[in-house]
Amino acid sequence: MGNQKLYKGSLQTIILKLLATNDKMYGYEITQKVKELTKGELKITEGALYPALHKLEADGLLNVEVAKVGNRLRKYYKLTENGTKETANKLEEMQEFLKTMQHLVNPKFSLE
Amino acid sequence: MKLTEIQITNLYQFTRQHFVYHYDVQTELVDHLANDIEGIWEENPKISFEEARDKSFKKFGIFGFMDVIEAKQKQMNKRYWKILLRFVKEWFTLPKLITTLLIFLSVFCIVQIPFAEIAIVSVLLILAVFEMVAAYRIRKKHKAKEKTDEKIFLLEAMIGTTKNSFTGFTFLHLFNFMNLTKFDFSGLNMYWLLLIAAIVTLLIIFFYVANYVLPQKAEELLQETYPEYKLVKNV
Repeated sequence: MGNQKLYKGSLQTIILKLLATNDKMYGYEITQKVKELTKGELKITEGALYPALHKLEADGLLNVEVAKVGNRLRKYYKLTENGTKETANKLEEMQEFLKTMQHLVNPKFSLE
Repeated sequence: MKLTEIQITNLYQFTRQHFVYHYDVQTELVDHLANDIEGIWEENPKISFEEARDKSFKKFGIFGFMDVIEAKQKQMNKRYWKILLRFVKEWFTLPKLITTLLIFLSVFCIVQIPFAEIAIVSVLLILAVFEMVAAYRIRKKHKAKEKTDEKIFLLEAMIGTTKNSFTGFTFLHLFNFMNLTKFDFSGLNMYWLLLIAAIVTLLIIFFYVANYVLPQKAEELLQETYPEYKLVKNV
């Protein structure tokens, strides 16, 4: 398992990107999906996930839907129109970041 | 293996024991714990419900649900402010704008009267006492609600009691401030008096909206904020 600290600043981008590809998701589903996609490399902790979701909701990037599933209520998160726009911005920033890190960490093998 | 109704109720109690008092926050955590417990059971069906629950709770870290509660509170504060401002704005469009201007002019006239500060301090004291009594009544009602295990939403609690601090205590602080500084209006020039009148007018509107308008519209606002509100309250 890699250094979780390195992923910390990217949590919001990860959530937004997941919601952009999956329409609507609930909290637990997000943690499982990330685990699956990264083959267990990244484990989003519950103590970080929900605060991040609530912040994105407060910023108007996410909308909430509630459905009764079995004997309990489930809260689904969905991108708002603003959220879709912000996802594109954040992904662009992420690409930029990855490129810069590449230059810094491994200048010889950089792609440019 | 799926969780039973009784186990779900147990999870609600569990979140409450860990200082999550509001139903909207509880619900999300209960669903998460339930999913996680079911996942744990898939890997190890022999583990008991309590053990699986505690194992799942540990994943939230040493602060437990605290981070989640804090983030939710912040989000709701933002939301409350937005709602408050939406209703305050009404007072700056016709027809309510006329009332606003009348309040402003009255305040402006009052602060020009000699010894106006004494009148204002007395009014503040009266308002503070009234507000304290009202706050006490609401608190009592709230406690009764908690006892009967009624589901209280976070925004509901904010509209009912905390009101983002636009409560009687603020009157009391103002009263103290004016009393201690021996505030004197007569030494101030016209611009200061205009500014004071404007601030007081704004404060009056904010208080009125937070203490009377929002509680009246509570039901509507809660339905708008929580998609599950109707579903839950009708059960």
